[in-house]
Amino acid sequence: MRDSGSEDLIVKMSQVIKEYPLGKLKVQALRGIDLNISRGEFTTIAGPSGSGKTTVLNLIGCVDVPSSGDVQIAGQSTTNLSDKELTHLRLMKIGFIFQSFNLVPVLDVFQNVELPLLLQGELGASERAVRVKEIIARVGLSDQLRQRPNELSGGQRQRVAIARALVTNPALVLADEPTANLDSVTGNTIIELMKELNATQKTTFIFSTHDPKVMRQASRVIRLVDGEIVLDNDGIEGVVEATDGRGEVGS
Amino acid sequence: MSQTQSSLRMISLIAMRNIMSNKVKSSIVASIMVFGTMLLVVGTALLDSVESSMQKVVTSSLTGQLQVYSSQGKDELALFGGLTASLPEIGEIEDFSRIKSSLEEVPNVQAVVPMGLTVSTGSSGNDIDEVLRQLRDAASNNDAQTVASLSGQVREIAGSLLEEYADKEKISNDLNRLDKERAALEEVQKDAFWQDFTQNSQERLLFLDTKIAPLANNGRRFFMRILGTDPQAFKQHFDRFEVVKGEMIPPGQRGVLISKRTHERFLKHRVARELDRIKREIELEGRSLEDDELLQARARRLSRQYRRVTFQLDPSEVAQLEPKLRDILGSEASAKDSIKELIQKFLHVDHSNFDARYDFFYAQVAPMIELYRVNVGDVVPLQSFTRRGYVKAVNVKIWGTFQFKGIEDSDLAGVVNISDLLTFRELYGKMTRAQRAELEALRDSIGVEDISRDSAEDDLFGGSDEIAIVEQDSQESFDEFQDVEVMAREDRIKQVENLTYSQQELEQGLALNAAVILEDPDDIQRTRALINQKIQQDDLKLKVVDWKEAAGLVGQLIVVIQIVLYVAIFIIFLVALVIINNSMVMATTERMAEVGTMRAIGAQRGFILVLFMLETLVLGLGAGFTGALLGVGIIEILGVWGIPAANEIVRFIFAGPRLYPHVSLSNVLIAAGVIFVVSLLSTLYPALIATRIQPVVAMRGRD
Ligand SMILES: Nc1ncnc2c1ncn2[C@@H]1O[C@H](COP(=O)(O)OP(=O)(O)OP(=O)(O)O)[C@@H](O)[C@H]1O
Ligand SMILES: [Mg+2]
Repeated sequence: MRDSGSEDLIVKMSQVIKEYPLGKLKVQALRGIDLNISRGEFTTIAGPSGSGKTTVLNLIGCVDVPSSGDVQIAGQSTTNLSDKELTHLRLMKIGFIFQSFNLVPVLDVFQNVELPLLLQGELGASERAVRVKEIIARVGLSDQLRQRPNELSGGQRQRVAIARALVTNPALVLADEPTANLDSVTGNTIIELMKELNATQKTTFIFSTHDPKVMRQASRVIRLVDGEIVLDNDGIEGVVEATDGRGEVGS
Repeated sequence: MSQTQSSLRMISLIAMRNIMSNKVKSSIVASIMVFGTMLLVVGTALLDSVESSMQKVVTSSLTGQLQVYSSQGKDELALFGGLTASLPEIGEIEDFSRIKSSLEEVPNVQAVVPMGLTVSTGSSGNDIDEVLRQLRDAASNNDAQTVASLSGQVREIAGSLLEEYADKEKISNDLNRLDKERAALEEVQKDAFWQDFTQNSQERLLFLDTKIAPLANNGRRFFMRILGTDPQAFKQHFDRFEVVKGEMIPPGQRGVLISKRTHERFLKHRVARELDRIKREIELEGRSLEDDELLQARARRLSRQYRRVTFQLDPSEVAQLEPKLRDILGSEASAKDSIKELIQKFLHVDHSNFDARYDFFYAQVAPMIELYRVNVGDVVPLQSFTRRGYVKAVNVKIWGTFQFKGIEDSDLAGVVNISDLLTFRELYGKMTRAQRAELEALRDSIGVEDISRDSAEDDLFGGSDEIAIVEQDSQESFDEFQDVEVMAREDRIKQVENLTYSQQELEQGLALNAAVILEDPDDIQRTRALINQKIQQDDLKLKVVDWKEAAGLVGQLIVVIQIVLYVAIFIIFLVALVIINNSMVMATTERMAEVGTMRAIGAQRGFILVLFMLETLVLGLGAGFTGALLGVGIIEILGVWGIPAANEIVRFIFAGPRLYPHVSLSNVLIAAGVIFVVSLLSTLYPALIATRIQPVVAMRGRD
């Protein structure tokens, strides 16, 4: 665990439990998670299938609420927020990169990236255009500005998604298995792009992955097994190696 | 704010793109909505046009904007005819002057015109009377030659009457009487009857007067609906009313104006009437003698009616007409043809000769025959049941004929004849149900006969005129008639002209209903309410109806059309609603990930709602605009071409042979409103479902 001042903490999960109903029973997806993530971190959440990675990201991303415990985003507790307030929080603070890219199919690259800015409603048209073009340039798609998602490759689509996630300058970007639908070379460049943006923009990234090669890029690896954190390091080579595989370490 | 503008633009963009990317679905939905809107615009515009044309016609011919009549009556007022042919029992207004003074105090009421509708039968002099008069003169002058030629005419008449007996036997139950009548007619056919005519002229003429003339007279009854009113007030307030022939009933004078249609249809010489009818169908309904079999059949039937012409021709007229007929017939006429064959051949009209013969008929033949049974200036006995149930006959002067401008051709509009209120009061009777039924039976038989004649071409003519049947069934009921008939024509005229009345007499007395003429003819419903208040206040025991209700069945027709149209439109939009709803619900499940993503990246529920609603709204507005444009276009084109009236009733509704519809802004606005509501309603449910989609679904799913 890190000793950071709470003002630097972008994510603070305390005693978070998440249960899903399964018929009459309940499945505990998370069994008491305590997790602090500071601004500017490039963190990966690892773990075997069903270990709770997506669940953790959903709770951090405020698209789901914990059964008990508290999730704080940028110092704000989300426990008692309404749907509307949660939505606003997501809009202002969080960027999302999805496994299946999730671009709006009927909009072109520019429009997809512009969408969050429009939802925020803070910038005028010209400022928006500058910002959108700038971020699209950063992900290297300036030539594809007017293309629709179905005219792009998987890697290009995920770049658009990254641009969309970053265009609002969010405090935090979440990515659930962003490379799962990409071949490993493309996946690698996507992670490298994220890492580069983390370095230059100081944006906090939290992403989950199965891929050890991807994991190796992270500065911090949090390993989940059965809804519990079994390992948390700062990207020490050995630990990453040790966590590679099916997660025996720490059990 | 430019932000909202931009987001709206983005939302519209997404909506547009979604519409475009789902072309099949969108075009199905759009075409239904285009069709619905078009129908709505065209339908409401047509309906409005019909209603306003009908309103103009109905209100300015018979009803006025409002009508009042007794609240005690059993039936509802139906000035243009109701469900049955019978006259409705609408109760009575005992003292018209009281309601007149009372109602004229109501704001916006310009005038109150009294009315009362009753039925009567009329009778007119006829050809045989004229022939017998000449015969009497010739006999007293011992003019054997004239007697001989007149005898030919009498035999003609008797011959044509005889021909009817085969048919009469089929429908009569008094065969004994028929046998006697036939024997008399056969007697006249014999040469013996005429041989020593001048010696026995008194006896023979008596036989003709008593045995033959009544038989010929049988065909001379006619049926009339008489609307009694204040003729001067009527003329002043019903501006479609115009006198065609003769003159207006002068103030204070009694008499009748016959509707031109009654005059032309029921009182005109049958051959002339048939010619008119063929001409009318060629001109108004675009039929042609060249290929229309029905019309050809009618033309064939016409030539069999030659006797109706020949027996009215005296020898000098025959001499005059024969060379002209040979001239127009050309090679069709052969040297040995008599006037009979010539007329018969002349009446054999076809496509090539119809116009020439029609003109010839009116120029050459018509002046020699009695073109109308009742002529302007005649005084005719009308009869009906009196209030106490007796049959009563009244001599009335026919001042002229009239028509309602714009609906001259309509039989519906020609259904009433107009008289002064005093004549009406004499003719009006409180009939028992049985008496009324009897009179209706008469009337029905006229109608039925007229119709069956159209279809069964080989039936009756030379045969019985429809009116002959009336007489046959009604002989017993109308005994008193003979007394009236006996009065000499000059005496009748004198008697009638002495019968004058004052305005006070006219107004202080019975009427059945009254037209309320408004200053602002569009302010009907408010005035109606005011009148109702006044009725309450003054205890007038009246009810007030608008022109649509007062018109009767025709007025209800428009309500029926309205209902049919609205039901059709409702169904179309219901189908549209269900289809849109279903496809949108399907779309929400297809677009779960998209919606979830938008929610995840910060779109509020309202945004999703607007997004979905706007999609249908854009589609609806596009379709609505197209549909409205098409609808307006159709109406505009129809407004130039005009919609031809298919039949007589439609001609009445259209206030003429063609309707030139117009479209108003309200038609378009109504359509726009409906399409807007339908779009919103059909998408509301799927849009609400879409707002329930959780952002977390964005994290699932692979594509
Ligand atoms: N909506 C849900 N309803 C019921 N159970 C759920 C639901 N979502 C997740 N779970 C359960 O919670 C546990 C954690 O699931 P989660 O998706 O977080 O795992 P994961 O680590 O992301 O797995 P994977 O690597 O396969 O994506 C699993 O046992 C899963 O079955
Ligand atoms: Mg997962």
